[in-house]
Amino acid sequence: MVCQHLEELYELWLLGAISEQSSRDLREHLARGCPHCLARVREATEMVYILGLAAKPVRPRPRVKSELLRQISRKTAPPR
Amino acid sequence: MSKELSSEDLLARMARQDGAALSEIYDRYAPRVYGLIAHILPSRDAAEETLQEVFMRLWSESGRLSEEGGSVVAWLVVTARAAAVDRLRSQSRDASGAGLKIHSAGKEKGPDTSARKSKAAGLAAATAKALDGNTETAKLCPADKATTPAMRPFPPAWLPEPKEITLIDDRLVLLHKAINQLPKLQLQALELAVYGGRSESEIATEMGEPLGKAQRSLRAALTFVKHRRRAVCGTWSANI
Repeated sequence: MVCQHLEELYELWLLGAISEQSSRDLREHLARGCPHCLARVREATEMVYILGLAAKPVRPRPRVKSELLRQISRKTAPPR
Repeated sequence: MSKELSSEDLLARMARQDGAALSEIYDRYAPRVYGLIAHILPSRDAAEETLQEVFMRLWSESGRLSEEGGSVVAWLVVTARAAAVDRLRSQSRDASGAGLKIHSAGKEKGPDTSARKSKAAGLAAATAKALDGNTETAKLCPADKATTPAMRPFPPAWLPEPKEITLIDDRLVLLHKAINQLPKLQLQALELAVYGGRSESEIATEMGEPLGKAQRSLRAALTFVKHRRRAVCGTWSANI
């Protein structure tokens, strides 16, 4: 397989942990539409999901949601 | 709004400018997403701002994401991590000033060995609680580095399907137990990459280890977790 050498890199790449050159190689390879690599990138996304959620859930203060909804309603409000 | 709606149904409603759908998605996922952000960013204000930005971005991109059908929560988690890590790096750049950057002209260049050993000793204590919700490691100063790929618009094609994430969610406790079984050095390297946004060379510097050893530790940790994931999620029957 021509992309065998990338096998170890997908998770590192999504985490931003590899060199810019390796990152560029991987991006260029993906841009060519390699189905194997696309599947591996999806798997790497799942890995980042698993690792990210190892942090304990924390409830944010209620005002964060209030502010978020206020901003959304301001964006979607019809112009006067 | 009914709890029966899937997150992907809610996303489709968001794409039609339904604020109640965003409210529902927020209630469903904000604690998970904020837990991750707060683990990376020590400042509560910065963490809350980042959380808000991530959900605002979900709102803005809901149309595009909804068309592709990828997992909403996977997008949230990956985007939140990237946003928090980028903010951490940016804060570090602002705080350290040009003269204190670890990198110089794109080449890896660490501080002197004694400083590295001392930093690594402090790090060992901090990373001991790597995956149990402690935020101390986030206070370590990361080096200047490029934006993570995930912070660019994340192509929906890279997202796993919702059913894959449901499968993972059912086994998340098991997977996290496996992560906690990693040898200390591997766990430390993994923590620095996931929550500190460090590159392999930065991890080597932080840990006071040669680059090759740090690389092997991080890659071994990722391979271990990947094999566990394949095994416990039924996509692979070997290597458990």
